[in-house]
Amino acid sequence: MKPGVFTPMVVLLAATLATGCATEPWVKPYEREHLADPLMSFVRDPISAQHREHVQDVREGARGAGTVQGGGCGCN
Amino acid sequence: MIARYQLFTLNAVAAAGLILLGVLTVSPARAALPPVGQAAPNFTLKSDSGKNLRLSEFRGQVVLINFWASWCGPCRQEMPLLGKLYDQYRNAGFVLLGVGVDENTENGRAMSRRLGVRFPILFDREQQVSQLYGVDAMPATLLIDRDGTVRYVHRGYKPGYEQTYQSQIRELLKQ
Repeated sequence: MKPGVFTPMVVLLAATLATGCATEPWVKPYEREHLADPLMSFVRDPISAQHREHVQDVREGARGAGTVQGGGCGCN
Repeated sequence: MIARYQLFTLNAVAAAGLILLGVLTVSPARAALPPVGQAAPNFTLKSDSGKNLRLSEFRGQVVLINFWASWCGPCRQEMPLLGKLYDQYRNAGFVLLGVGVDENTENGRAMSRRLGVRFPILFDREQQVSQLYGVDAMPATLLIDRDGTVRYVHRGYKPGYEQTYQSQIRELLKQ
């Protein structure tokens, strides 16, 4: 079969997608100073945020996939 | 029908793109802490006492290097425990170097004072040593034997690690 006109472009696209996560612009663990700043968190008080989330979980019956863990009793 | 020169251009662009992609993907060597058995890379940093400290000066002693930062929770948990180990073994030929990676040296200094640690704190403001060591977790702890060889590498801190450190320090001190 004759290669299509856009074969080079398709190859380039495939290569880009395949290696996209391999390039390393990641923030290194020792560079997280600004990310670790309390200013970067959504809420100021982590304990009250956890409590609020737990209450909402229980009230709305939509549990899981959050950050709050249940007590393990299976009763919310 | 696509013209011949257009096809050529298309091919050229795709080839250039592939080459660029290759360069981008391959060139940065994946950073990781030095493997066990390798000689510990040498470095010099300013310490909290104002003196410059060089790793090779501590040849003949067991050295624990701990990378930490004032904004790192587990580091803050670990530091006083490391301080205890330092106080316990310093007379037996053990040195502990705390490499603080804070960009603002004052933050690191204040934190180490607050935690009351007595071991030398080095300031890696430019993060060159962190880069040299390829620190891939915070905190990171390396144990170096009397010959300057990396013997144990620990990533992160979980309660109980200090007991592992202690037994490894004792083992290296005996050699």
